[in-house]
Amino acid sequence: MPSPTAGRPAADLRLRAVRLLELALFAFCVVLMVALFLVIIVAVFSRAFGNSLPWYDEVASVGLAWLTFYGSALAALKSAHLNFDALLRPLPPGARRAVFLLSKAITVAFFAAMAWAGTYLLRVFGSETLTSLDWVPLALTQSALPVGAALFILAELLTLPESLANVGRHHPEHAEPLS
Amino acid sequence: MTILIVILAIFLVCALGVPIAVSIAVVALAGMLLESGDLALYNAALAIYSGAVSFPLIAIPLFILAGALMNTSGISRRIIGFTSALVGFVRGGLAMVNVVASMFFAEISGSAVADSAALGSILIPEMKRRGYKAAFAAAVTSSSASLAIIIPPSLTMILYGAVAETSIVRLFVAGVVPGLLGGFMMMGVCYWAAVRYDLPRDGAFSLRRLWLAFREAFWALTLPLIILGGIFGGFVTATEGAALAVLAALVIGFGVYRELDLRLLVDSLREGIMQTAVVMMLVAASAVLGLYLTQAKIPQQMTEQILALTDNRFVVLALLNVLLLLIGMFLHGAAAIILVVPIVLPLVREMGIDPIQFGIMLTLNLAIGQQTPPVASVLATTCSIAKTDMMTVTRANLPFIAVLLVVLILVTYVPAVPLSLVHLVYGG
Repeated sequence: MPSPTAGRPAADLRLRAVRLLELALFAFCVVLMVALFLVIIVAVFSRAFGNSLPWYDEVASVGLAWLTFYGSALAALKSAHLNFDALLRPLPPGARRAVFLLSKAITVAFFAAMAWAGTYLLRVFGSETLTSLDWVPLALTQSALPVGAALFILAELLTLPESLANVGRHHPEHAEPLS
Repeated sequence: MTILIVILAIFLVCALGVPIAVSIAVVALAGMLLESGDLALYNAALAIYSGAVSFPLIAIPLFILAGALMNTSGISRRIIGFTSALVGFVRGGLAMVNVVASMFFAEISGSAVADSAALGSILIPEMKRRGYKAAFAAAVTSSSASLAIIIPPSLTMILYGAVAETSIVRLFVAGVVPGLLGGFMMMGVCYWAAVRYDLPRDGAFSLRRLWLAFREAFWALTLPLIILGGIFGGFVTATEGAALAVLAALVIGFGVYRELDLRLLVDSLREGIMQTAVVMMLVAASAVLGLYLTQAKIPQQMTEQILALTDNRFVVLALLNVLLLLIGMFLHGAAAIILVVPIVLPLVREMGIDPIQFGIMLTLNLAIGQQTPPVASVLATTCSIAKTDMMTVTRANLPFIAVLLVVLILVTYVPAVPLSLVHLVYGG
């Protein structure tokens, strides 16, 4: 089957980038998820045998933060974040596109602010480290915010044409979390 | 009142189509910029990062993963087989089986949507085949699935416990009695419906059939013991219990029932990652809102204003329930918790209401919210399985919603219902 973007090299390149980013983010999140699971299982069994791991809850908590920010970029790529864009459905197409672009601008601006402030904070942390592991710098653990925010923006921009075409439609990918 | 402006602003930004998490954080950030200028940006970045750093909340991805694995590993089918041998002989047998299987499943899984999909995809077609009305089949599946968030473990309680800084394990214990009460009353409703509509039995009772079904379901039935036994016995925290649940699901799925494979594992991981990211982004964003509300002393103001109107416990509890019911109708569980809890918790504490009791009230309101359109996640799941529309199912669902309301009123006005077991286990 010929690609829907055949003959449009820029669009073809963009879709390839989307797939690559999705694969990379998913693979990284799987690593984080499996690591979280293993760290906790190892800690439980090692405690059962009288040897508790003093670093495990601090490291695992940071792991969850990394899963949050990298996972959020992945969820942005799949437009899985909860929103109410169904409310835009009754608008005429022109107005709908305008409101939609405004909403994207707000989202991108917010994450740009977080990426900028997050990067600034990395310098402030200097040589501080985790409490339980003094060789892990806070600048590394906290990097998940600026990097995740930048990836979020990238995901939003790369999928802009599809999101624009689908605005107001039902998302089959929408998770129904915690229900 | 400032709080109304904040909430209105969040809804306005949401209405543009901005994700709920971003809307919450953007409004909080704007408020902070007005209060404290440039510094607000760094404070917000610190808050959103530390909002996501949490040990108790690691239970969320792990329980979602465990649930997804169990749904694909043949556990639901065996639990249904066992409950069918246990209660299927009663009039309206399959409806009873539906409720009892949900009660079993609730001890393994903490998510009602997951349960309604797992049990509904097997039971609803079977019920329709045996002459049950599609709307009734969808209603009983939907309402009984909501027991999953009331009977421990519960993702709703984990999130509330983390936001309210309250013991998750005590919340779990407090959910046992209301959950069982709800389950038994739903069985009563099923029996009443069975007599009224002359619904069929699901086979005769025989000890041999029960024994065979028990043997088949044995490993599935050990799961509640592993998960809840470990947590309630004080051997593991809720988070560690969730990791044990994943381990047990992997062992049973790959080793015992052999219905799990690599593709299903990857699908389960994807589900766990996506749902976690969506929920945790809400949690992280709510940390910015929490910081703003605290800085601007908004919840304290609201508490004083409400207490100036009335300090009657009965009235305040009723007001809280009305607020939670409305929020539950229009918002998804996670969004409702992170938006409402930081705002009303000071009032709850000021009134001397036990935060554990309030947590169970909140959970029941969200369970009702899962059943009441327009945003009714669990109801929508069973309607799509039963291929019928939400309004017809809601009519059939009214007696079951009434059960949840009765349990809510008991939990609200008879604190002993949720708290007796907590006091029995932990003293006090």
